[in-house]
Amino acid sequence: MGHLAQLLVLGVLTGAIYAAVGSGFGLVWGVLNIVNLAHGALVITGAYVTWLLFSSYHLDPLLTLPADAVVLFVLGYVLQRVLINRIIRAPLLFTFMLTFGINLIVINILLFLFKSDFRSVTPSYAGAGFELGGLAVPWLRVADLGVALLLAGILGLVLNRSRLGAAIQAVGADRDAAQLVGIDLRHTYAMTFALGAACAGVAGGLIATIQAITPTAGEPYTLQAFVVVILGGLGRVSATVVGGLLFGIIEVFGQSLPFLSSGYADAIAFGVLVLVLLTRPQGLLGRLA
Amino acid sequence: MRREIRTHALAFMAIGALLAAACGSSGTGGTPTTGDTIILGAPLGLTGSLVKESQLTQQGYDLWVDWINAQGGINVNGVKHPVKIKYYDDTSDANQSAILMQKLITDDKAQFLLGPYGSAATATDARIAEQNKIPMVEANGAAQSIFNQGYKYTFGVLSPANKYLQGVIDMAATLTPKPTRIALLSSNDNFSVEVADAITTYAPTKGMQVVLYKKYPSGAKNLVAEVQAARDANPDMVLNSGHLQEAIAINKASKDAKLNAKIFAYSVGPSTPDFIKALGKDADYVYDGSQWTPQVKYTPSFYLSVRDYVAAYNKKYPGQGDPDYHVAESTAACLALQKAIENAKSLDAQKVRDALSKLDVTTFFGEIKFDNRGINIYKPMVVEQIQDGVHHTVFPKEVADVQPKYPTPAWDAR
Repeated sequence: MGHLAQLLVLGVLTGAIYAAVGSGFGLVWGVLNIVNLAHGALVITGAYVTWLLFSSYHLDPLLTLPADAVVLFVLGYVLQRVLINRIIRAPLLFTFMLTFGINLIVINILLFLFKSDFRSVTPSYAGAGFELGGLAVPWLRVADLGVALLLAGILGLVLNRSRLGAAIQAVGADRDAAQLVGIDLRHTYAMTFALGAACAGVAGGLIATIQAITPTAGEPYTLQAFVVVILGGLGRVSATVVGGLLFGIIEVFGQSLPFLSSGYADAIAFGVLVLVLLTRPQGLLGRLA
Repeated sequence: MRREIRTHALAFMAIGALLAAACGSSGTGGTPTTGDTIILGAPLGLTGSLVKESQLTQQGYDLWVDWINAQGGINVNGVKHPVKIKYYDDTSDANQSAILMQKLITDDKAQFLLGPYGSAATATDARIAEQNKIPMVEANGAAQSIFNQGYKYTFGVLSPANKYLQGVIDMAATLTPKPTRIALLSSNDNFSVEVADAITTYAPTKGMQVVLYKKYPSGAKNLVAEVQAARDANPDMVLNSGHLQEAIAINKASKDAKLNAKIFAYSVGPSTPDFIKALGKDADYVYDGSQWTPQVKYTPSFYLSVRDYVAAYNKKYPGQGDPDYHVAESTAACLALQKAIENAKSLDAQKVRDALSKLDVTTFFGEIKFDNRGINIYKPMVVEQIQDGVHHTVFPKEVADVQPKYPTPAWDAR
């Protein structure tokens, strides 16, 4: 029983990272209808910002997260305004090609700047934790969970309570109608992508605290974000959080099956995904379009 | 048919060169003259997931090229041939590596081949070497599956995969209190599984038992569940057969989970400077099985001594610490090829292959001699331990510079 509880805790803490990675990806996909293949590269860019501030200025990694958000917000705004806006109405394949290209360029710039060395953010309290009824719980992971939930909360507030959020939602619902009522489409697109990138940056900062990073380390996160968003359902931040946590739990339990290679964890996770797509194509909490 | 003609022509030219050299030596007193540049080919993962290890490989190759060209080149029967290595970026993709290997042979006219990084790419490239009947000397593919194909043109200077963690087991058997319970976490690629499988058969012969053997997908970045499973098994030793990134992930997760074992040993990773940089103090006490360390004591019959090699590396690549075994074994591959060419007294691919199969030399890297499959089973592995942020050799005793710090203290007690 204690064993299962420990796995559940690990699963939730793992899932928090996936939720953070998925939130920005889901926003961009839901509103702009762009499956952003450069998302993982943006995530790792955020991780490098955290690493840079930590190693050069000895800033606490959690304090670097706002800087991650700001840097990626600006980068995201420029990328969308200058590049992606040009193909926003083009067929899906074009957005794939463009974002894949951006992915390669970002990774290679990171390779050029930081080399392929493994970088790690290890604050003095890394690995410290507390015991809760016999369960080992690392502080840093708990902080990551807190940040992931906070991030989702802030994103939800921005989308549901601000003028910008209303504009973003309007554009997401019907871009032509939104333009008719006077919403600046290009700016709103760029703000949406910038917000998504900022979320990616924060997620990257969290990732820097739990794993060693290299310029190519973000690539698996693009796929994970995709799965998490589908699992939870498009169009709601809370759905992405649920999708992320669920994916984390499924993964950890899958990896823990005795006598089986944890390679099967992926098979199980994707099996669940297929099951969800068959029974609830809009995702667990998604709204029907 | 055409290949046969070429072989004959080459043989004819070689005989001609022999005669010319013989005449020359009687006439002029044997001053070597400069011959054509020898082209070697090597695809490496200069981008992609294996870029770090590939760069270390390239450093090892380049160190030798600088040295041999400073000597005037490889001495083939009195004629010195300078050397050039042609590199291509295989993007860390084994299939791409094979395509580029063929391109190196066909377009760039590479006369001999140096291996890529990693067992996967070495396996695909070995087939190309075999098809073209051109010798490949490699230093970074240790999976025995490469050498069990009956290939005649692939030679590996490094100890095979099954030896990687055996040294750790041998060392553990000498320690008190003797560790007996082993938790084994292995990546599922061909090389890592060979390393791990060897432990499951070897450990019982030393009175130890594998209480957990868990495989995970190669390249996994999240290993908390696996480490949790290891913790539940209450092991004395945590062994990992995988790669640098996974070794870092397991070490981090072990601290998080308060998994306290007497020995943490990882097959690949701790020997690189990145491991210590990434983990800081948490890297201390970690063991790894290493092909070579800067502290080993071998008496080489040619090329540099161990100390001079380390000095040469530090001079060419300042600020990168001492060379790790990836660099050293890569240089050793070049040395094996050089010696084989010299022994063959010819640049003929077939003759050099035959010379490689008969090679037996001691270098700064240790003995290089190939069994009938082409892998070097004669050089021992050594065990390293990180102590106070520095790599030390702790086993076997003959080459060790310090005692192992054993047992590893609990995470809370550090």
